Amino acid sequence: MPEQLSADIVVIGSGVCGSLSAHRLVSQGASVLILEAGPRVNRDQLVLNYRNGAFKGNWMDPYPFFPWAPSPNFHPKDNGYLVQAGPYPYPAEYVRIVGGTTWHWAAHCWRVLPNDMKIKTLYGVGRDWPITYDELEPFYYEAEVKMGVSGGPGTGSPRSKPYPMEPMPEPWAMRRIRERLAPGGYEVITNPQGRTSRPYDGRPACCGNNNCQPICPIDAQYTGGIAAATAEKAGAKLIPKAVVYRIEPDPQGRIAAVHYYDPNKNSTRVTGKAFILAANGIESPKLLLLSASDKYPNGLANSSDTVGRNLLDHPSSSLTFDADEELWLGRGEQSPSSIQKFRDGPFRSEHAAFRLDFTNISQVRTAAEELVKQGVYGPQLAQQIRYHAARQQNVKDVLEILPNPENRVTLSSQKDALGIPKPEVHYSMDDYVHKGMEVAREEYGKIAKLLGGTNLRYTPKGEYGNNQHICGTMAMGNDPKDSVVDGFGRTHDHSNLFIASTGVMPTVATVNSTLTAVALALRTAQHIHEAI
Amino acid sequence: MGASASVTHDGLAGSKRGQAIDNAERPQGTADFPDPVRRALLTSLLAASAASVIPPAFAAPPADAAQSAFLSASQTLTGQSSLDPEEASRLYNALIADDPRFADGVQALAKILGQSNIDLMQLQHVLDNENSPVATLPRKIVTAWYTGIVGEGEKARCITYETALMNVVVADKLQPPSYCYGAPGSWVEKPA
Repeated sequence: MPEQLSADIVVIGSGVCGSLSAHRLVSQGASVLILEAGPRVNRDQLVLNYRNGAFKGNWMDPYPFFPWAPSPNFHPKDNGYLVQAGPYPYPAEYVRIVGGTTWHWAAHCWRVLPNDMKIKTLYGVGRDWPITYDELEPFYYEAEVKMGVSGGPGTGSPRSKPYPMEPMPEPWAMRRIRERLAPGGYEVITNPQGRTSRPYDGRPACCGNNNCQPICPIDAQYTGGIAAATAEKAGAKLIPKAVVYRIEPDPQGRIAAVHYYDPNKNSTRVTGKAFILAANGIESPKLLLLSASDKYPNGLANSSDTVGRNLLDHPSSSLTFDADEELWLGRGEQSPSSIQKFRDGPFRSEHAAFRLDFTNISQVRTAAEELVKQGVYGPQLAQQIRYHAARQQNVKDVLEILPNPENRVTLSSQKDALGIPKPEVHYSMDDYVHKGMEVAREEYGKIAKLLGGTNLRYTPKGEYGNNQHICGTMAMGNDPKDSVVDGFGRTHDHSNLFIASTGVMPTVATVNSTLTAVALALRTAQHIHEAI
Repeated sequence: MGASASVTHDGLAGSKRGQAIDNAERPQGTADFPDPVRRALLTSLLAASAASVIPPAFAAPPADAAQSAFLSASQTLTGQSSLDPEEASRLYNALIADDPRFADGVQALAKILGQSNIDLMQLQHVLDNENSPVATLPRKIVTAWYTGIVGEGEKARCITYETALMNVVVADKLQPPSYCYGAPGSWVEKPA
């Protein structure tokens, strides 16, 4: 007889969405069990892994790989876990460990714009959200307080209360960029960030380690690891190395249990009153599809046939150049400042909206590697490293791709070490994206000119980087025929199955998705609390 | 079809791509237009030393001679006269572990570098043009010293980090990433 476990609320996934919804529910008196596929990790060990690592440009490198809970990794070569069906590459990265992928992130904590949630009505493209900005606003604030968000004016998103912390101190480089772009009509603002501008909730103030990705060494940056610890401290039970492989419905269509494997493939059944699927925008739809049966041949929560479809992220192009003055990126946090003016407007009926981001990542390593590649030796090498590290800057766009049912996550015929099918991704870019990229490219040129830019290196046309903001695959909507969950994150098909994930966002807007997903997850938790 | 977007991350789109630095924008020197006289001189030096580049394996030279040649070549290639001998030893051991012919090659390279009038900005160009057996060595050596990494692809490993020369030569301005820059907010000031 296999072991059995039970709780009021069973949460699948211990990332920031799962853990903070668990925290909310356990604090309100429910018993909560969190099942996490990966193991616990130790922050200081991750920092050591980074320092001792051979691939410092690969932010997956410090994170160990577990065959029973594999994660995608593409350097030095594709490990084959996230199967690429094309036509466009979708090399998304995520980690499966206690706390999830916000162990490494830029910690941008944006709210969407109210107009982002009704782009179909306003601009005739994409799809509307089933809820309004005003309905989400209190949960945005709750998320900002829990995560410790610092921020200031100029984001374009209305607020009922000030940010919990004043904005991060503006690095000298960003100040110079702001000052020099102002005459060109560009307003550069300090980003809202899950980062401490002063001591907050037991976390120290950021001291500028410039290592937000892959790992903040001091917890100045909020992580899912902190979220999971918060949930456990409040009384949630967390089981690591519990790889959920099946969700079991009862004859009435409610969820009765979930089943997980340990690394040795011993199976355990877990029952509960309500279930929250919070295993990110790829693993969650994978699990719903995996749970197919005779009664549910397309998988669970999938009467609409949209589970896994409408995969969204933020493609990016960029321009790297040398400014005509010394900026010395690498002092302070990695991603401090951005331009908002292209995030909304009537043009959205024609081409994609975007935010423009300036990097503050130290350019020393990339400059050194490039110069060695060029064959620069002798005294010139150190001089030129200093020259480029002082002046090199990069501006990129974070651009909205529209939902397309053919962009999707499916089950691969390939299997992982436990015999579970790997996720397979199908992805493409359309003219809406390409046109937006053209507009961004023109802006890059103007920006570089205002900074006296030389040595301009545009990314090749049509080749876009990815931002690991996995959205859309379990979209919320009012119509059960074309969406997976309702506005509260409840699946249309199973009344006690909820989803807390970036995957429920029906559009991706122009901002990093974590804060919005957490706000939605907290709203879902509130709804569950009222329902049970 | 065929588009090959690379993985980038928040704040770093495309930083590993499109990096063909235009030499005309460099502060000084180029690697593309060799001085014909120097090139001729270097070519003859390479020819003179070519015979000794790959001796039979059983004739391997004493390790200390090779290590000494490594230190000497490293000083010239890195442009740093004072290199830590212990670190040199660690890097050398990592390099010979990857390539049993490295010990011989580095001695041949040291001989080339020991000639007067070597223009280091032309060195790689000339070695490549001559298909020199030691053409891959300068990059390996300089990569090891500056980035702390020895080996490529799946064989790459980190030998040094904090003391890698790329971090040392900017130490008056920056800490190596993951080390605290200073008091919170100290980065708002202009770099001293």
